Amino acid sequence: MNQQPAIAIVDLTKQYAQSEKPAVDGLNLQIMQGEIFGLLGPNGAGKTTTVSMLCTHLEPTKGLIYINGKEVSENQLFIRNRIGFVPQDIALYEELTAKENLHFFGNMFGLKGKTLQNKIDYWLDAFNLGDKSKKKIKTYSGGMKRRINLIAGLLHNPEILFLDEPTVGIDVQSKNVIIEFLKELNKQGTTIVYTSHHMDEAENFCSRIGIIDHGKIIAKGAPASLIAQYDDCNNLEDIFLKLTGRTLRD
Amino acid sequence: MWTKFIASVKKELLLLIRDIPALSMLFLMPVTLVLVMTMLQDSTFKILDEQRLSIIILNNDTGSFGKNIVKGLQASKLFKVTTAHNSSVDGLKSKVAKGKFTIGIVVNKGATQSITKNLNREIYHQFPEEITAAVTLDTVGAGVSAKVDVFFDPVIKYSVKQSVLSALREFSAGVESEIIYSTYASLFKQLLGVEMKKSTHPVQLVEIHEQKAATEATSTIPNSTQHNVPAYTLFAIFFIVIPLAGNIIKERTSGVALRLKTMPGSVVPSLLGKTAVYFFLGFIQATVMFLMGIFILPLMGLPQLNIQSNQWMALLILTFAISMAATGYGILIGTIFTSQTQASIFGSISVVILAALGGIWVPIFMMSDLMQTLSRFSPLNWGLHGYYNILLRHSGISGITTDVFLLLGFFMVSVLGAWLYQKRKKG
Repeated sequence: MNQQPAIAIVDLTKQYAQSEKPAVDGLNLQIMQGEIFGLLGPNGAGKTTTVSMLCTHLEPTKGLIYINGKEVSENQLFIRNRIGFVPQDIALYEELTAKENLHFFGNMFGLKGKTLQNKIDYWLDAFNLGDKSKKKIKTYSGGMKRRINLIAGLLHNPEILFLDEPTVGIDVQSKNVIIEFLKELNKQGTTIVYTSHHMDEAENFCSRIGIIDHGKIIAKGAPASLIAQYDDCNNLEDIFLKLTGRTLRD
Repeated sequence: MWTKFIASVKKELLLLIRDIPALSMLFLMPVTLVLVMTMLQDSTFKILDEQRLSIIILNNDTGSFGKNIVKGLQASKLFKVTTAHNSSVDGLKSKVAKGKFTIGIVVNKGATQSITKNLNREIYHQFPEEITAAVTLDTVGAGVSAKVDVFFDPVIKYSVKQSVLSALREFSAGVESEIIYSTYASLFKQLLGVEMKKSTHPVQLVEIHEQKAATEATSTIPNSTQHNVPAYTLFAIFFIVIPLAGNIIKERTSGVALRLKTMPGSVVPSLLGKTAVYFFLGFIQATVMFLMGIFILPLMGLPQLNIQSNQWMALLILTFAISMAATGYGILIGTIFTSQTQASIFGSISVVILAALGGIWVPIFMMSDLMQTLSRFSPLNWGLHGYYNILLRHSGISGITTDVFLLLGFFMVSVLGAWLYQKRKKG
């Protein structure tokens, strides 16, 4: 694994105007190139806000973010050319077919012609969707939509891929296809930052995780070494519950 | 930049073509509105012209007054007169009440006699006693006015009622003049033995010329089509606000907007693509509506939309500005509101209010001072004013400059508002 930081976060804070407490509160973190980093936390812990700032969508209230050594707010075009973002929602046009969606997003990345067509065909085949590519997204199952949602973030071969709960609400088979594919992508050098509520998935998938709560990282490390640190915990879920509590979060 | 713009246009077109309810709303609704409103208003425009008011008249007067009133009404272009013979006043009243006639007129018995006696008395008092002693004028029974009863259908409009009463007063005045003339003629004959001759070349003392205040002799006669086609074209163009705002909100709630914002480069080409599609949609709507006014409405017996060859450029420029204004408003609503329901409710109601203020349904000159002041802030008023200037006043491009600038200003303010709102939200 390359030990250059792909992402360096320094004292990152996000305070929403309508909220009393900061959503992200002085976060410091380094994610190395080639890592699969899992950002785990209960609802409202600050995962999505953190990812939104890393993807240049939200401006931090305070603090700095470096991606591949470049400060984000001053190098947005450079950063956006190197990152891929797969949102938690199915960010696709329901009335368009899979191919029409991918053509549109490919064009938005500046891709066109044969290059784009080849990429689309490759990814559709890789996710076993080639024969259904001319159907409208609204006719797809949840798992199929998730796969297209993922492809739309991969068309420009990003160096860093941000995934906000990429397997939420889908069948086991689709989840397995996605995770195996992402592992393969990571082997080819893509750094992956991933948020999830699925502790078992994160335990098997991530090379390192960070547990975030109330906008702060409260634990981080490789899943196995974290589990080893807590004698009374057998898995990541036990650690998660121990650190974030059993009170329901809305 | 071009790749993104074209991709965005292509995507928006596909989404629009596949959204049948939205397309129906944008094309069928205004077409239906124009047809229905033009047919409805056609009779209103014609009512004082081709479609004459139906009048039943019962003349119980045997003199010239009753005869002249009937003759005057029959000669008028305003009325279709039916003379009631062998009918009672109650019978006539019942016919009007049942809606068979709009107006019923009863000239009461002895009306001419009453007028003559009253005038005789007036004239008699104007002469010195030494003269009046030498003549005999019938003034017995003077002091009682001639009576004309007018019965109106209860549903008749106040303005129509006033028109009818004015016409009756005009005919009465004419008859009175004739009686005055004949009374004086009789006096002269009795006093001086002189027979007055009737004028062989009567001159109308005041001639009223009815003319349109248009700058060219070729001005167009306003009719229901000339009003409704531009009015509902405007209304239709502004209704693109609903699908456009809905489209923006859908992109935001589905996460597509978030995805687009994390892509390299500006979101401007994507936004421009969206704007271009809805902007041209406004143009297509206008074209469909104007073509309907020219070719379809006449087939249904309605007046044809009269567009002269030198008006097309001005129409093009104005429609461009209207489409821009509507698109800007849609972007603003789509940016500010958080759900499609909110946007469609606010969008449709606000367009209806702006249309009402803009004079789409009620002409602005008929509004109260407050409403007239408010109407100056409606972009639909600017658009309608511009269309009227082109189609009815034949003002050309110079007559729409202010309206075009106001509409383009509205577009810029809307887009700026949306941008500032978005910027504040991102921060």
